[in-house]
Amino acid sequence: MRNKFTEMFENLLNSNPFKNYFKKNRLRPPGAVDEEMFMELCIRCARCIEVCPYDSIRRADLYEKLQIGTPYVFPDDKACYLCMRCMKVCPTGALNPRLTEGQDVRMGLAVINQDTCLNFKYYKDEMEGVSMSGTAQLCSTCYNVCPYTDSAIVLEKFILPVITDKCTGCGICAEKCPSTPKKSIVIYPEGMPIEEKAGFYGRKHRVQAQDEKKPEGALHGEELLNQKQKIDGSDAKPDFEYNMELYETKDEWQNQ
Amino acid sequence: MKIKTFRRIAQTATLIAIFLIPLLNVFELYFIKGTFYSMDIGDAAIADPLAVFQSMLASGTINPYMIGSLIIPIALMLLLGRVWCSWFCPYYFIAEMMEKLRKLMRMKPFKPQYTDSYPHKQAKYRYLFLLVGLLVMSVIGVPILNLISAPGIISSQALVLVKFGYVTFELVFVAVLVFLELFYYRWWCRLFCPTGTFLSFFRMKRGMTVRKVADECSNCLTCVRTCPMMINPMTMGESGHCNNCGDCVDACPDNRKKDTLKFTFR
Ligand code: SF4
Ligand code: SF4
Ligand code: SF4
Ligand code: SF4
Ligand code: SF4
Repeated sequence: MRNKFTEMFENLLNSNPFKNYFKKNRLRPPGAVDEEMFMELCIRCARCIEVCPYDSIRRADLYEKLQIGTPYVFPDDKACYLCMRCMKVCPTGALNPRLTEGQDVRMGLAVINQDTCLNFKYYKDEMEGVSMSGTAQLCSTCYNVCPYTDSAIVLEKFILPVITDKCTGCGICAEKCPSTPKKSIVIYPEGMPIEEKAGFYGRKHRVQAQDEKKPEGALHGEELLNQKQKIDGSDAKPDFEYNMELYETKDEWQNQ
Repeated sequence: MKIKTFRRIAQTATLIAIFLIPLLNVFELYFIKGTFYSMDIGDAAIADPLAVFQSMLASGTINPYMIGSLIIPIALMLLLGRVWCSWFCPYYFIAEMMEKLRKLMRMKPFKPQYTDSYPHKQAKYRYLFLLVGLLVMSVIGVPILNLISAPGIISSQALVLVKFGYVTFELVFVAVLVFLELFYYRWWCRLFCPTGTFLSFFRMKRGMTVRKVADECSNCLTCVRTCPMMINPMTMGESGHCNNCGDCVDACPDNRKKDTLKFTFR
């Protein structure tokens, strides 16, 4: 039962400075072993935090219970740019140093909120024929910024961004998504299988993820390129009907 | 030259390094990075043995990365003894400064009476505290002893201060420890610090140790009174408690005439 009150409560928790725990969809840095093992292995040495050239990795605070001192990435503010440096410095193997290819990283999975995504809105407006608000605009930012465009994220119907299982969870799309007041993409963490750990914010979107993830059948790469090249208006016949009166009838009317 | 002079230089350099290393990283120089939990210089990785041991214990696995980062600290320990504590640990430096401050304020701390059995009593405290800590840690399954490692906290707080511009609550813990130093003589290092206790397991008789090299001395017991770890330097130099600070060697009046109490390798 969601109502105004629960929403207010959630917002309160999300904005309380002492409760980062509820606020953040935190990801572990790339290459992190699964969360339980990670908590056992990570000695909180902060080497990964120091080496990250983009300041993507943060250090968890005391408020976050025993997580204190462990590294995390909060992609809404600063995504991971997959430079693959942090896993090489980890002294205990909490981040797997054998990972060298950016595309093998699975930090999380991006989930697009279809109600607020500008492209989805645009599509809906187009389907209905009229732009109700007059503000529909095409965005596709996420598609453009993703380091694995056309494999991690594809445009269905050439307009609707859809995440596939190639998504690394780097969160660049989430960082750059321009929709307001809330970003239309959340990354939900891979290493945190227990729902509570991702906080309210993550749980809300996870529900959508289930009926939204349909990577099969989506075109990407070479296939998509071919498909795009096939678009050609020269010999295609428009299949709509004229709904205006023909000339003869007009004459008839004039004759009357 | 006094040993203490060299020691002060090393300690000051470490204290500067704590802030300098993150600063270098902010300017994108990544040659040295890390905190006193674990650090690397070029490709050589160094980690606090206790931290790595905890993560071995918690996860039940041992991997080459762990072993790799243990080689240097343990080799250093075997060769030079617990020099980490007295020559580099920032907490030790702060504790010594607190001692100076206390003398300036003419405060008398509580210092237990030295007896022959006292070193063993204090050893029991240390080992018991480490043991209980490790037990609690294995039950929780998270390396929590890191959260009370004074040098680690100090350096990681310096890191967040330089890199992100804030400090966290852990600093209060260190502040409390430092404050209590005023009242109870060297209590943390002598009786509790799990990091130092764990290091002392790797003490080897063959490494650098304080020994009485002369057959006789004037038996003034100055060395016993100076020793910050409250052991008898004449007989217990090779025990795990001695952190090779050399204060006793500096203090021994007989050294001026002939070598009496000295660092030796054997
Ligand atoms: S891969 Fe690079 S950008 Fe990403 S978290 Fe690690 S160091 Fe930072
Ligand atoms: S480098 Fe490894 S052990 Fe150190 S803080 Fe990062 S994940 Fe933890
Ligand atoms: S960046 Fe955000 S608003 Fe733009 S298309 Fe992607 S999800 Fe939609
Ligand atoms: S879809 Fe988003 S999170 Fe996934 S790889 Fe692309 S940019 Fe990264
Ligand atoms: S015993 Fe602990 S706090 Fe004291 S000098 Fe050694 S490492 Fe530092």
